[in-house]
Amino acid sequence: MNNMMPLLSVSIYWDLPVLLIIVSLVYAATRHDRWDKIIHEAIHWGVRIVLFLVSIGLILYALSTFL
Amino acid sequence: MEPVTPRNEKHFVNMTESQVVSSEKIPPGEVMINPPLRDPLAAILSYLIPGLGQIYQGRIGKGLLFFFGLYVLFFYGFWMGQGKNVWLPYVRDLPDVVFFGHKVEGILKAVAYRPQYAAQFWIGIAAWPAIIQYYYYDPFKEVGPYLGKYQRAPTEAELNEIQRRSSKRWDLGWVFTVIAGILNLLVIYDAFAGPMIRETPEPLPTADPPLIGTNSGGPARSADPSGQDTPASNVAPPETGPQT
Repeated sequence: MNNMMPLLSVSIYWDLPVLLIIVSLVYAATRHDRWDKIIHEAIHWGVRIVLFLVSIGLILYALSTFL
Repeated sequence: MEPVTPRNEKHFVNMTESQVVSSEKIPPGEVMINPPLRDPLAAILSYLIPGLGQIYQGRIGKGLLFFFGLYVLFFYGFWMGQGKNVWLPYVRDLPDVVFFGHKVEGILKAVAYRPQYAAQFWIGIAAWPAIIQYYYYDPFKEVGPYLGKYQRAPTEAELNEIQRRSSKRWDLGWVFTVIAGILNLLVIYDAFAGPMIRETPEPLPTADPPLIGTNSGGPARSADPSGQDTPASNVAPPETGPQT
């Protein structure tokens, strides 16, 4: 668990949710006009972006820790 | 469902019926409005201030979402960069830039040295102070004549100092401002031509076509949407599948 602390303490990671939420919402709103569809698509994009960033982060973290 | 008038009646006075979407799935009291197919004025408004074109079209909620979303992203990034990541450099003394055999001059040369601004520019008015600062830049003064140091090209010493004492947030900050500018391109397109996926107007639920003329002695006719009456005997029955 202590090995994870440097990852969590780097401040730029805490700025990413702002980017993630706004990009998902704005992009979804440019594709639809109905709020239910906008929210639905924004959640989908948010999940995809989070999964992508987390997987990249874990790969880089593993490379820097174990190699 | 009672008809709801779009808030911007002046703008929608020439809208066709197909542009107003009425559907059973939409909550009562709400009318979906498909924007016009080509609306250059709304596109210009959305360039100047994100979401303003949508508000002009009567799509208030989406306009406010774009306005707050993109300005929060842009100014949050600007704040992360300590106000020194949206600027155009002073390039008079810098080597020439050649683009496809042509020497680039003026503000385009400045953009070539600071390509981030090519994306930041699309956030609209919020990035214009950098252009004003570029035109009034005096290397022998510390501040600009009208806007002080706001979006003014920082000196080499200032940039070195920022990067020496701050974390990577300064770099991430300009990325935020660039993404805000690029996202506003999508918003401008939404104002110009509507959302990527336009709502298809669903026909209002109607009763069976009424029979006309049964009391006048003539043949029974059914009302045809095309405006022509068709004898009821000529109306084909709905197909019910193969008969056995």
